[in-house]
Amino acid sequence: MKILVADDSRVMRQIVVRTLRQAGYDDVDVVEAEDGADCLAKVGSESPDLVLSDWNMPNMTGIECLRALRAQGSAVPFGFVTSEGSPEMRETASDAGALFLIAKPFTPDTFRDALDAVLA
Amino acid sequence: MSAPITALLDGETVTAVAGEVWSALVGEGELLLPGLGPVAPAVDGPSAWVTVTGPWDGVVVLTCGASGTADLTRSVLQLDDDEQPTAEDVDDVLRELANILGGNVKSLLPGPSALGLPETGPAPLRAEDEDTCRVSASWRGHDLAITIQGASEAPAHHTTEVPK
Repeated sequence: MKILVADDSRVMRQIVVRTLRQAGYDDVDVVEAEDGADCLAKVGSESPDLVLSDWNMPNMTGIECLRALRAQGSAVPFGFVTSEGSPEMRETASDAGALFLIAKPFTPDTFRDALDAVLA
Repeated sequence: MSAPITALLDGETVTAVAGEVWSALVGEGELLLPGLGPVAPAVDGPSAWVTVTGPWDGVVVLTCGASGTADLTRSVLQLDDDEQPTAEDVDDVLRELANILGGNVKSLLPGPSALGLPETGPAPLRAEDEDTCRVSASWRGHDLAITIQGASEAPAHHTTEVPK
C-alpha cells in the first residue's frame, strides 16, 4: 500500500505522515510531492493507492492536479488535506472526483474516519 | 465592500480558533493563553501571514516573539529539547500555522473568498483601525499576536475636471 502526500510545506508533509502513523497506518509506504505538478508526475511514476493533497500550492494547485489526473483517465483515489473546508470547496472537490476533504487542524481520528473506507 | 473585520469577528472567536490550531499542531495539552486586557501589546518577532480575497479583503498575520520561535518549531516537529531547528524549519512552521489560522478565519467570513499562499517577513500591517482585529496570547511564556486586518483602500481620486 502506497500513499502520495502532496504539500508545498515540508513541515505539513511531516505532520501528515506522522498523523498517518498515529492513525494506525504503520505499514504504508509514503511518497512525498512538493506541489501539484510534482504530484501529477509522481502519480504516473509511483502508482500510489491514495493521494493526500493540499489545495493551495504553487505551480499547480491540488484541484488543478486532480482535474488533470481525471482528464488523463487516472482514477487514483484522491483526498484533500487542506487549511480550509468551506461547503463550496467541499462541493468543488467532490465534483472534481475527490473522495473526501480533511480540514486542518486534524487528528488521527479524522484520518481514520476518512481513510479507513478507502484503504480497507 | 464587506463590513469591517470588527463587525464580522471578535477577539474571543479568534482566540478560540487559535487554541484549536495550537492543540492540534503544537501538541495536545499545549495551552495558548489569551492575553489580558483590551489592548494587545506589540510582539517583537517574526511574522507569517496569508491573504484573504473576497467580500472581505485582508491579511491574517501570526507574530511570534523571537524567544519562542525555536521552541515552537521544536514542538511542532517533535524535535529533542536540545536540537536547534534550522531557519528554514522555523519559517515553514510559522507559515503553516498562519496558513491554518487563515483558513479557519476565512471560514468564518462571508464568502466566497480565496486564501493566498503563506509568506514570512515584516508583517504587512498598518496602524490599527476599525478594520483590525488583534489578539495577543502566550504559549509557554512566549508572546504571540494574531492580527486580522483589512486591506487598505487606495485613496479616493479627486479631480476638479468637469466630465465630458
